[in-house]
Amino acid sequence: MQLQRTARILPLLAPVHLLILSVIVLPSLYVVWLSLNTSSFGQAPSFVGLQNYWRVLTDPAFHSALLNTVVLVVVAVHLELAVGLGMALLFASGLPFRRFLLVAVLAPYAVSEVTAVVMWRFLFDPDAGPITLALRAFGLPTLDWSFEPSHAMGLIGLLTIWLHLPFTFVIVYAARLAIPGELYEAARIDGATRWQAFRRVTLPLLGPAMLIALLFRYIFAFRLFSEAWLLTKGGPARSTEVVAIYLYQEAFSFNAFGPAAATAWIMVLASLLLAGAYVLLLRRGGISHAH
Amino acid sequence: MRTERLLIGAGKALAVIAILFWSLFPILFIAMSSLKPGQDIFAVPPKWLFAPTFKHYAELWRSWGVFFDGLLNSLLITVGATLLAIVASACAGYVYSRNSGRWLGASLLGLIIIRLIPPIVVTLPLFPIVNALGLSDTHLALILLYATFFVSLGTVLMRTFMDQIPRELDEAASIDGASRMTILRKVILPLAMPGVLAVAVFVIVFSWNEFLFAFIFTATKAKTAPLVISEMIGSIDGVDWGILFAAATVQLVPVLVFVVFMNRYLVAGLTAGSTKG
Repeated sequence: MQLQRTARILPLLAPVHLLILSVIVLPSLYVVWLSLNTSSFGQAPSFVGLQNYWRVLTDPAFHSALLNTVVLVVVAVHLELAVGLGMALLFASGLPFRRFLLVAVLAPYAVSEVTAVVMWRFLFDPDAGPITLALRAFGLPTLDWSFEPSHAMGLIGLLTIWLHLPFTFVIVYAARLAIPGELYEAARIDGATRWQAFRRVTLPLLGPAMLIALLFRYIFAFRLFSEAWLLTKGGPARSTEVVAIYLYQEAFSFNAFGPAAATAWIMVLASLLLAGAYVLLLRRGGISHAH
Repeated sequence: MRTERLLIGAGKALAVIAILFWSLFPILFIAMSSLKPGQDIFAVPPKWLFAPTFKHYAELWRSWGVFFDGLLNSLLITVGATLLAIVASACAGYVYSRNSGRWLGASLLGLIIIRLIPPIVVTLPLFPIVNALGLSDTHLALILLYATFFVSLGTVLMRTFMDQIPRELDEAASIDGASRMTILRKVILPLAMPGVLAVAVFVIVFSWNEFLFAFIFTATKAKTAPLVISEMIGSIDGVDWGILFAAATVQLVPVLVFVVFMNRYLVAGLTAGSTKG
């Protein structure tokens, strides 16, 4: 009986699991092996233990890439959540043309990283960018992103918030819509102010959804590559590298597969740690949405 | 009281304007600039009124023929990846929706976790493998990669949507002598269409826009449109911003229109895909 059922469902499960096994799982495990060896193109690998990890973890370029990534993740993702939350509350408070506004907010979701870089590069062009010009006209400081590494990181952060705000907004907004209106009525009858209703009703009930949005965005911001690569290629002098660019440079520019693999596995571990937190959150059943 | 309401209204209006500006200005600005005559692109202050011209588009057509090859490649790869991801996800999602058990539960959890592994990690081992298999610079390589990175989310989504279809329908069809595949195709899939569309939105937007895999796994024959645009940016000193804007607009408009029309499924997919599992 059990066997029969297995025989029946296996063919249906096979395509998904074969794809994932051959494209993601086995290659990821192979990365572990690569990370314990020194190898390059056309060179026989030899086992070196944890030496690659040591090399990466003591490499100043990795430290700078990790610091850039962590600052980017912490600043951009939390800023994005705060803005997303504000927008979700604004939408929930009742707006005219809500469907149109919703579609407008979703629009950046359709934009590729490459096209977004074209847009923002021009908007912030040091000589002719309209935003640079506007800032200058108001006597405000401009972003000197092609020379100043911290400004470049700022622009990368803005770009990544712009691309991903639709996601964060939708998650928080859907959770806000799922809060029954009676709760606010009850709060009002009990004499709660708007602020108290927000503190005691909205925030606690949005908590799980905001945590989910945060975890997803941590995971996705941690692997950020294209925006940074297309804007600065990690330069000047490797100062705006993020971890994914560090990995790419090690592997494809310096042919150092061992250290690249060690970096990759560090990325996997960090992602799995965050993913574990996410799954725990899902399984605790704290999240439910009315559909 | 009335002034307070007025103030709140004004505050909201300002917030809405800020949101619209933030979301739409970059898009509208490059689309508009792609129609400006050359010297007007850099006009200070920016020109809002100008005689629109398709000069940059004509120039794009003449000097960047490779961009249009890229569009065709993007289209083929997007269609292939979408079909593969939908068929595979629908089959697996059906199993997960209609069966339960320790192993199934564990493997579904595995799918959710594996989805969160950074794609750049697998480029490292896959690069030599793809070369060895002769798949380097082919459409097939990108189709397989793109579909694979969405089948886990696709499976979870299909399961969520199929869970809402009553099992009695399967049973009735089964009594009528329909096979499992027939039930899936004729009964379940039509009812799970919102789920199929949600998966389609994700895969289509991702495959059409993806940069990293295309950058690493293609060179000339299978080069996608985003990659060609990135090469235009790369030669920025020599490149005409007008041509770049035209290319970016051509790349963006189809997928933007698609997302606008499919916004309901995108919203449903985003919420179900991250809060169910």
